[in-house]
Amino acid sequence: MNIKSLLNPVAGIATEIVYALLIILAGALIALAITYL
Amino acid sequence: MILRPVLDDIRTIGYFLGKIIIGLGLTMLLPIALGLAFKETNPVSDFLIGIEITLLFGFILVKLCSTDNDLNWMQGMIVVSLSWLAAMVLGAIPLYLSGHWRSFLDACFDAMSGFATTGLTLAQDLDHLSRTHNLWRHLIMFIGGQGIVVVAISLFVKGFSGAFRMYVGEARDERVLPNVVHTARFIWLVSLVYLILGTLALGLTGILNGMRPVNAFFHGACIFMAAFDTGGFAPQSQNILYYHSLPFEIITIAIMILGAINFKLHYHLWNGNRREIIKNIETLTLFATIAATFFITALGLERTGTYPRVIVLFRKGFYQVVSGHTGTGFMTIYARQFINEWGNLALVGIISAMALGGGTCSTTGGIKMLRIGVIFKALKQDLKRIILPERAIVAEKYHHIKEVFLEDKQVRSALLITLAYLVLYFAGALIGMFFGYPFLESLFESTSAAANVGLSCGITDTHMPATLKITYIIQMWAGRLEFMSVFTLFGFIIAAIKGK
Repeated sequence: MNIKSLLNPVAGIATEIVYALLIILAGALIALAITYL
Repeated sequence: MILRPVLDDIRTIGYFLGKIIIGLGLTMLLPIALGLAFKETNPVSDFLIGIEITLLFGFILVKLCSTDNDLNWMQGMIVVSLSWLAAMVLGAIPLYLSGHWRSFLDACFDAMSGFATTGLTLAQDLDHLSRTHNLWRHLIMFIGGQGIVVVAISLFVKGFSGAFRMYVGEARDERVLPNVVHTARFIWLVSLVYLILGTLALGLTGILNGMRPVNAFFHGACIFMAAFDTGGFAPQSQNILYYHSLPFEIITIAIMILGAINFKLHYHLWNGNRREIIKNIETLTLFATIAATFFITALGLERTGTYPRVIVLFRKGFYQVVSGHTGTGFMTIYARQFINEWGNLALVGIISAMALGGGTCSTTGGIKMLRIGVIFKALKQDLKRIILPERAIVAEKYHHIKEVFLEDKQVRSALLITLAYLVLYFAGALIGMFFGYPFLESLFESTSAAANVGLSCGITDTHMPATLKITYIIQMWAGRLEFMSVFTLFGFIIAAIKGK
């Protein structure tokens, strides 16, 4: 088993968590900013 | 002319139903093992009775209906819809025996709420429920989230075409891998990897918050199962509010969104195709709709002045929106606060979030992101047709793993399912209004049940009318299975009565 095939799921999980936390959060923060403008 | 079903149809349905029921019975071994480890003797005996009845029922069906036939489409759909009803009744037995549910109907309500990953509960004195029963409540969410049939396919059923028919009947119209058995196993792989990571993260947070290690990891595992499978049960009656912990809320937000992501997308991300997450129509739509529904909610909360501090408004509003949108139903406020403090506009924001749902082929309910994205693209295409010259060829495409050209049949299918969901939401609201609840509250609770969310504004209570309990059970069942297998079951019953 090569290292790349092991790293792919790890990088995939990291991508998903970044999406779940940061990208979605950024969208909500923009929405909040518009609310108060 | 409608053809009356023959004995062979019933034998084939009974045989596969029996196998699925045996699979369900075997899952009761887990709470039994936990109960023995914690020396919870009485709860273990509840499960021994439950497993005995379930396995007996399953074996009798398999023996009586033994057949070599494979499932056809109709039979596959009926097996699915009946297996969810059977799971509800059989899964409710140990719950009812615990004495924490006032009637067997209440226990059935919670069992369906668990299997359909809804999260509405009628449990009494939840804070003193045994660990054994609590594990079962959360485990049925885990099983239901993956799909009862997916569990059976991964354990018992070899790769035959009938397996695919059941898989489709369970509202999973996408295969991650060409082989349906491999698809089912991949779904389990993703869930188990996240189960370990999520339980560790939540357990450690619990310990840092002062919980005893065993309790922290037990709560962590339960909360993970309810969050990833977008269920919404929690071991304590105050739900996530019980923990009063910002890290806990942040971790559960991540897990809820991970649960709302299509398993096919998980597969591509885990295999190196990482740009897919920023191109996929589902994740783009989820990003836009969470922002839009949070905007409506935040606007409402700002108008009512419920939370004078912005940071508190964001923490409470965003959590409830993500919880509603992903179909989880975790709450960091009390149910009646929705009505007494949030105001109508914020309520509409939450109802819209709940109605939309998460990704197709995920554990969420509701209309789902792919359909919303397709409808939006169709609208864009029609607008272009109006604006551009008549001779112009207007082709619209979207990215879902690969580039897909928008076709009328996709739009038709998306609109039909959306319409069916809207009818289900409003039908439940009408029944709620019939029993005297105000419109918005009825619509809130009905949408929560039909989209398998689990947020409650206080209607769901053991004293609500039995008819309303049955209505919500039907909504949870039909909403989780996305109608087709439920309609097929009704068609089968009509054919059995009126057919020739």
